[in-house]
Amino acid sequence: MENVVELKGVTKNFKGFSVENMNLEVKQGCITGFIGENGAGISTTLKMIMNLLRPDAGEVNIFGMNYRQHEKEIKQRIGFVCDSNVYYEGLNVKDIKRIVAPAYKQWDDALFHRYVDQFELPLNKAIKKFSKGMQMKVSLAIALSHQAELIIMDEPTAGLDSIFRRELLHVLQELKEDRQRTIFFSTHITTDLDRIADYIAFIHKGNLIFNYSTHEIEENYTLVKGSLDLLDWETEQVFVHVHRTSTGFEALAKNIQDVEHTFGNDVIMERASLEDIMYHYKGGMKHAKFNMA
Amino acid sequence: MLNLIWREYILFKQSMLFFIPFILFLTFFYDGFHTAVIFLGGSFAISFNSYAYDEKAETDILLNSLPYTRKEIIASRYLGGIVHMIVSIAFTSALLFIFNKPYTVTDIAISIALFLVFASLLFPLFHVIKKGYFLTVAVNSFLLITIPGSKVRSFVANLVTAVTEFTSGAMLAAMLIYAVSWGISVIIYERKEF
Repeated sequence: MENVVELKGVTKNFKGFSVENMNLEVKQGCITGFIGENGAGISTTLKMIMNLLRPDAGEVNIFGMNYRQHEKEIKQRIGFVCDSNVYYEGLNVKDIKRIVAPAYKQWDDALFHRYVDQFELPLNKAIKKFSKGMQMKVSLAIALSHQAELIIMDEPTAGLDSIFRRELLHVLQELKEDRQRTIFFSTHITTDLDRIADYIAFIHKGNLIFNYSTHEIEENYTLVKGSLDLLDWETEQVFVHVHRTSTGFEALAKNIQDVEHTFGNDVIMERASLEDIMYHYKGGMKHAKFNMA
Repeated sequence: MLNLIWREYILFKQSMLFFIPFILFLTFFYDGFHTAVIFLGGSFAISFNSYAYDEKAETDILLNSLPYTRKEIIASRYLGGIVHMIVSIAFTSALLFIFNKPYTVTDIAISIALFLVFASLLFPLFHVIKKGYFLTVAVNSFLLITIPGSKVRSFVANLVTAVTEFTSGAMLAAMLIYAVSWGISVIIYERKEF
């Protein structure tokens, strides 16, 4: 399967924060969810993919091309939804379309109006009078109306009510069925990804922890529960993080075979949700530091 | 490119109600000042209107996520400046003609030279000054040129006299400054991160 987005050894340093040596691939025709806690480097990575930020080191290739030589060709083929409203608030949807549409060779006005109808967007009302969710719908309608092959979205479901969130996921699912389309989006609402994602890329403190298919995550990660007497320095090595309670422990492991080999049938293994994984990695870092100290 | 310039007129549509009274105000109350300033005021208003809008919105993110290069975005600002100047001169000439106010081709030439010089100084600043402050700087510089008694105004008045004497030379110099400013803006904008 071809990679639509390739980040090779990408590093970006800011004061007090950096994205370190990131290698990320986004596969063609798939929906990849990009997850991580606030400040993990999600927006920075997405902005580097959009050439809004330039990496200090490493290479960003989109459709096998780089931005130095092919900026316009690349961006013709991308639909981008930012996490904040980037449109002029005093303008209405019609005027915003007048500004954006001529930039794209493949702008499809009929498709745009279909989304406007579907999302129930008023065309002649200034968007400053729109709710955050409505403004997000405007961005989505615009990003989806020029036959983009790659759709990149930063938190598209934030600020949307649950009904529209489902509607959006349905739209994305439809887009995915056309195998040419690749969708890469970040979200804090991991249940959205359970519904539609093929791959999940997880970033933590500027480092890419994994970029697995949902199947691989299910095969590798597991939530383990058992009694405290099973834990010692050696057995704990199979876990990313252990959470102890008075009645026992709950831990995240990233290799099911290791857990079976170490504990046999003495523990209970459950499917780890994305939220479990994020939670334990966040705690896991603290745990590692504690252990080192 | 044309799309980017057209964008500024879509934005300008919102400010028409301000623009027309502004030019009328200059036409009637600035009789004491050089006619070139009336032309200059119009050119300023259209060009800086879009900057005012862009300051409020995340325009850089918008424009840079569209299929334009950064060089094209800057080029649209500078070529747009010239287009706005022509539009504004046509509009202001018509108003002056309708209200029977005298003006000469030299007035227009002076306003062009002045616009090019001031735009050359202010355009690159837009990419350097912190968001929210640019319009204040632009409006204040225009007021300083026009308010009676201001030192900048007397400097500009002297400049106008000098320009009047060497119109063609001044015009060439202004165009050269505009071109250099364009180059500087490209360098600044290419390095910017959004």
